Amino acid sequence: MHIVVCVKQVHDPEVAPALFTINEATNAVVSVAGLAQVISPYDEQAIEAALRMKDKKPDTKITVLTIGAASAREVLKHALSMGADEAILVNISAGVLLDSYATAKFLHEAVNKIGSFDLILAGRQSADLDAGVVGNGLAELLHIPAITFAKRIEVVESKVVVDRVVDNGSEKIETTLPALITVSNEIGAARKPNLRETMRASRKPTQSWTQADLSKEPMEATEELIKLFIPKKEKHCEFLAGTSAAEQASLLVRKLRDARLI
Amino acid sequence: MDFELSSEQQAFRDAAKAFAREEMMPRAREWDEKSIFPVEQLRAAAALGFGGIYVKEDVGGSALSRLDAAIIFEALAQGCTSTAAYISIHNMAAWMIDTFGNDEVRKRFLPKLCTMEHFASYCLTEPGAGSDAASLRTSARREGDHYVLNGEKAFISGGGASDIYVCMVRTGEPGPRGISCIVVEKGTKGLSFGAQEQKLGWKSQPTSAVIFNDCRVPAANLIGAEGQGFRIAMAGLDGGRLNIGACSLGGAQFCLDRTIEYMRERKQFGTRLADFQALQFRVADFATELESARLLLWAAAQKVGDKAPNATRMAAMAKRRATDVGFDVVNGCLQLHGGYGYLRDHPIERVLRDVRVHQILEGTNEIMRVIIAREMLAN
Ligand SMILES: Cc1cc2nc3c(=O)[nH]c(=O)nc-3n(C[C@H](O)[C@H](O)[C@H](O)COP(=O)(O)OP(=O)(O)OC[C@H]3O[C@@H](n4cnc5c(N)ncnc54)[C@H](O)[C@@H]3O)c2cc1C
Repeated sequence: MHIVVCVKQVHDPEVAPALFTINEATNAVVSVAGLAQVISPYDEQAIEAALRMKDKKPDTKITVLTIGAASAREVLKHALSMGADEAILVNISAGVLLDSYATAKFLHEAVNKIGSFDLILAGRQSADLDAGVVGNGLAELLHIPAITFAKRIEVVESKVVVDRVVDNGSEKIETTLPALITVSNEIGAARKPNLRETMRASRKPTQSWTQADLSKEPMEATEELIKLFIPKKEKHCEFLAGTSAAEQASLLVRKLRDARLI
Repeated sequence: MDFELSSEQQAFRDAAKAFAREEMMPRAREWDEKSIFPVEQLRAAAALGFGGIYVKEDVGGSALSRLDAAIIFEALAQGCTSTAAYISIHNMAAWMIDTFGNDEVRKRFLPKLCTMEHFASYCLTEPGAGSDAASLRTSARREGDHYVLNGEKAFISGGGASDIYVCMVRTGEPGPRGISCIVVEKGTKGLSFGAQEQKLGWKSQPTSAVIFNDCRVPAANLIGAEGQGFRIAMAGLDGGRLNIGACSLGGAQFCLDRTIEYMRERKQFGTRLADFQALQFRVADFATELESARLLLWAAAQKVGDKAPNATRMAAMAKRRATDVGFDVVNGCLQLHGGYGYLRDHPIERVLRDVRVHQILEGTNEIMRVIIAREMLAN
């Protein structure tokens, strides 16, 4: 079985808020020392999901695919250290902002160039822009079924059975291969690379493609980012009127209802 | 000569640092106060490959170099110096089996040591044989397919908790040539342990006497040939000393990083400590001493890995320097914390207690000088 996992490099979502600033003139995150670039955590869990399938069927091949600047090689190396077999970087210049549609089209070209596959996995959304549509877009372009928010994936012969997260529970869905599945955090923690796999990672095949290797027409965003900003948090303090605790409590309930908080 | 770490070495260091920060650091105080041997976290460390760092891959090891190990131990020691030091002893014992044991012995013991399902101890010191280890008297008498062991080992790290005891015992003449190396498994009849020692530091790992009373051990557990034991023990220590030195550097680096943070916050005389030049010079010296000790340690690790002729001497120099510098820097950091450094609320006093013993064990720092001088002044 051949699984392709689509991953993205993002600014570390766990970083201290003080380190995170935005240049509002360019609508871009200011990169400062200490603001690390990491694999988007949902994508890391998608790799974990693929590795669990490989644990069960060792002849499974896992290819990780990313579109990004040269720095995204680090993300691929991380994936290989976790246990993926091959990596492909589609190299675009730093600073080029693709929208979800362009990303899906780009991935589509890359997957076509990879050739055969049985399953494509991706994170449920990226941890930076949180749009959550690239996976489905790619499935659409490939004309294959898509299942979102997986928390458990099992391949049974030429079918895949997915436990999919829904409000207050999960549903079980089955579809034929090839298919695309987006992975949710409920799948569980991603494994940490061990020393041996880290050592092997540098010997695993890594390819670097450019846009010219994929298509003649340029891949550009059709959406325009108008404004990127950090929302201001404001705090107000209000003292509840009323003389008894009971009176203040009912006032509090009314205020919370008005604010649609309860 | 290139002083940059490779990208793999950076990845190893980052992995060890992350493990130290997430799994060890938050628990180190409790392990110290309650003398807890953290079995669960040790096995988690082994799952990442830290149980057999330079053991070969066919038995589950990570097959890394001595330099890689030094980098890893420095990073682990930042989380809990005492626990990192135990991992280093476990690795030393596993390496001895891997390097000098035959294939049957390797396959029997190493897979479970690499996962730390089993823990290992290194048993050389005796009540009457410390620095003069070659005078050890624990006897092993051959009887058919077994050796019968009698005697007592002292100060054994992991004593009582470990499953595998790599023991140096006397099978022949007095002196180093009459010593052999043999593995004794926990549960063997005639093997018992003394009471747990009450120590200044290193409290997250047990220390006890290991006692042999007509203890019958299969001859198949012999590591190497009869009479090679002392050489095997010393070869193990060349690497062990690097790792212990690295643990001192890690403990000290952890304290220095904390001290810099503290100096930025703490004010006296209306001034941040960080703005007193006298104190700035102290931290400048701490950093310089640490960096020089680290470079010597890395150079020695390369020599030990390459089996260079001067490897033992370099390892002795590096151990002496790194453990002395490590202790002095931690002690200096405690001083810069004032009275707070002396309290349990800050981790510095714990690290001070932990790194102190690195100047004593795996050969005292006096013995390191004996080793260095011996070669220089021979003839
Ligand atoms: C917490 C702890 C854990 C330990 N773990 C282990 C273990 O796992 N396995 C193990 O085998 N051992 C272990 N040891 C033992 C340790 O290696 C010995 O304590 C050490 O080698 C010193 O031996 P000694 O204590 O008998 O001191 P001694 O040899 O009696 O030395 C006393 C003093 O004399 C100095 N001295 C001795 N000979 C000379 C000389 N020729 N020239 C100059 N000075 C000299 C020494 O440096 C020291 O300062 C451990 C010790 C401790 C404290």
